Amino acid sequence: MSRLAHTVAVRASGVDMFFGTPDNQVVALKQADFEARRGELIMLVGPSGCGKTTLLSVIAGTLTPQAGTVEVFGQRLDGLGQEELTAFRRKNLGFVFQSFNLIPTLTVAENVMIPLLIQGRPYDEAHDRAAAIIEKVGLKGREEGRPNALSGGQQQRVAIARALVHEPPLLICDEPTSALDKDTGGHIMQLVRDLSRSPERCVVVVTHDHRIFRFADRIAEMEDGRISRVVDDPKLLDTTHL
Amino acid sequence: MYRLALNMLFGDRAKLAMLLCGLAFSALLMAQQSSVFFGIMSWTYTPMVNIRAQVWVSDPMVEQVNDAKPLRDTDLGRVRSVDGVAWAAPLHTSFVQARMQDGNFKLITLVGIDADTFAGAPAVLTQGRIEDLRLPDTVIVDEWGASLMGRMTVGPDGKPRNTPLKVGDTFEINDIQARIVGICKVKRAFTGGPFVYTTYDRAKGYTLGARRTLSFMLVEPQKGVTPTELCDRIERDTGLKAWTSDTVIWSWGERSLARNTFWWFWTNTGIPFSFGTAVLLGLFVGIAISGQTFYSFVLENLKYFAAIKAMGAGMGVIARMLFVQAFTAGLIGFGLGAGMAQGIGRVMIEKGMPPFVMYPQILWATFVLVLGISFVSAIIGIIKVSRVDAASVFRG
Repeated sequence: MSRLAHTVAVRASGVDMFFGTPDNQVVALKQADFEARRGELIMLVGPSGCGKTTLLSVIAGTLTPQAGTVEVFGQRLDGLGQEELTAFRRKNLGFVFQSFNLIPTLTVAENVMIPLLIQGRPYDEAHDRAAAIIEKVGLKGREEGRPNALSGGQQQRVAIARALVHEPPLLICDEPTSALDKDTGGHIMQLVRDLSRSPERCVVVVTHDHRIFRFADRIAEMEDGRISRVVDDPKLLDTTHL
Repeated sequence: MYRLALNMLFGDRAKLAMLLCGLAFSALLMAQQSSVFFGIMSWTYTPMVNIRAQVWVSDPMVEQVNDAKPLRDTDLGRVRSVDGVAWAAPLHTSFVQARMQDGNFKLITLVGIDADTFAGAPAVLTQGRIEDLRLPDTVIVDEWGASLMGRMTVGPDGKPRNTPLKVGDTFEINDIQARIVGICKVKRAFTGGPFVYTTYDRAKGYTLGARRTLSFMLVEPQKGVTPTELCDRIERDTGLKAWTSDTVIWSWGERSLARNTFWWFWTNTGIPFSFGTAVLLGLFVGIAISGQTFYSFVLENLKYFAAIKAMGAGMGVIARMLFVQAFTAGLIGFGLGAGMAQGIGRVMIEKGMPPFVMYPQILWATFVLVLGISFVSAIIGIIKVSRVDAASVFRG
């Protein structure tokens, strides 16, 4: 890999995040440190309630931490206002959600076009680009169909197409295989890996699914609101508690 | 994004149908009830429409055209002497009972017009000639009255049927014979009785015992004198009240008798309250059904709006999407509702009951109110979406 591929894409340092009132506080992140590099696919794993999703939300700029710093591709997020965060997400982030979040009343192509339309791209241009990436995820000919007519795996392919259509440098995947069977989950992760592989792009995947750990370059394990360890080889993880 | 917003709206056909039903029903109720209201109110000044004259003169205490306070016959001469008067003719209007040949009584509006000039005569006669009114004991009855006052006969099929009065038929007013020499076409009146025209002098005979029978004077200004100027002169010189005959009722006007009549009924009867309640009901039903349906549409799409927010759409974009959806539904709902109201109106006009007048202002007001309902619906949705945390998309 090139030198550029190993530069830091995401860095979170000393992040605190808690919910509720001071009397009834739930600590989600406590002095959490996290780092992801350009060109890698890193997975965040850990038991339920350990703070994976909260950390993902902080990195995505949808939650603002109470303490600590978050830097994504050189941009400090902790100092940005809501509008700036929204603009940042619009340009730099792609999302793959656990429950796909495809709008059932829109066609497959229209769902995929959303990030481009949010950026203000013309409808026809967005449609052409959506059609191209839909072909890449293996759904050519299904552009004008409704998402509900597709299988779970196909819907997640559409979601991946939507996440990558605007070529964001950071791809955030939240439990992308939890609603899929083993084989489909494997195919989806292979697709994520194949399509998102780029020296400039970083992919952060939150998952419980140890069957897909093999697709990770590194795996960060979380425990009690912080990263407890980072490993290069999934075999080094004890998956019994995940 | 607006095209997607519309596709989201049209993609959920059940919700869209419900939304359109609410908006269309609301528009229908508001437009139809308002049109019937203005139709009924337009009947209040029907004499001004049926009896055409540029200037009407009345007792100073008269407030509206159905409330004639009789004048002395000598007042006619005083008015004729006012500078700028081309001619002035007497007019009698009163409500009297007419006895039909079968012994039934009907309330009629008796109109006595000047036999020399026929000023105030009906413009359209479907049967007979106006000149025949100069014959003894003659009257002209309006079409609706001819039907209302008709007699029951047995048809060729053996079934009873109403046979309208025709030229040559007779009835009685205060035991004095009235022979029909014409059937005219005039607008119906709020007071309900059909119009029966006769000469002014004969009308005096029909209303036995009344010392004063001059209800109004119909006046024509000389060339170069406007009706308003003439009104001023008549009032100054005679102390009587003079009115113009314009029937545009959309503003307060001291000079227009029609306008004064309209507003008199507005302020002195429960009609506006009654119809106003129906219109308000339409508005509230519209807000309730459409607001609720649109809110439910937003709720159903909430997680998608949250996802769109997470992807980088600002609240401004989402608010505009919701406005586009709400206003599009509003426009279609208004079109459907106003169209249905128009259709119902056509049927009403054909049947003649109840009266129906759909002014462009009614359509505009309904349009604005339906868009108001859409606006409220959109605001409810926007508030809901604005409270959704973009991070909620990561919670499964």
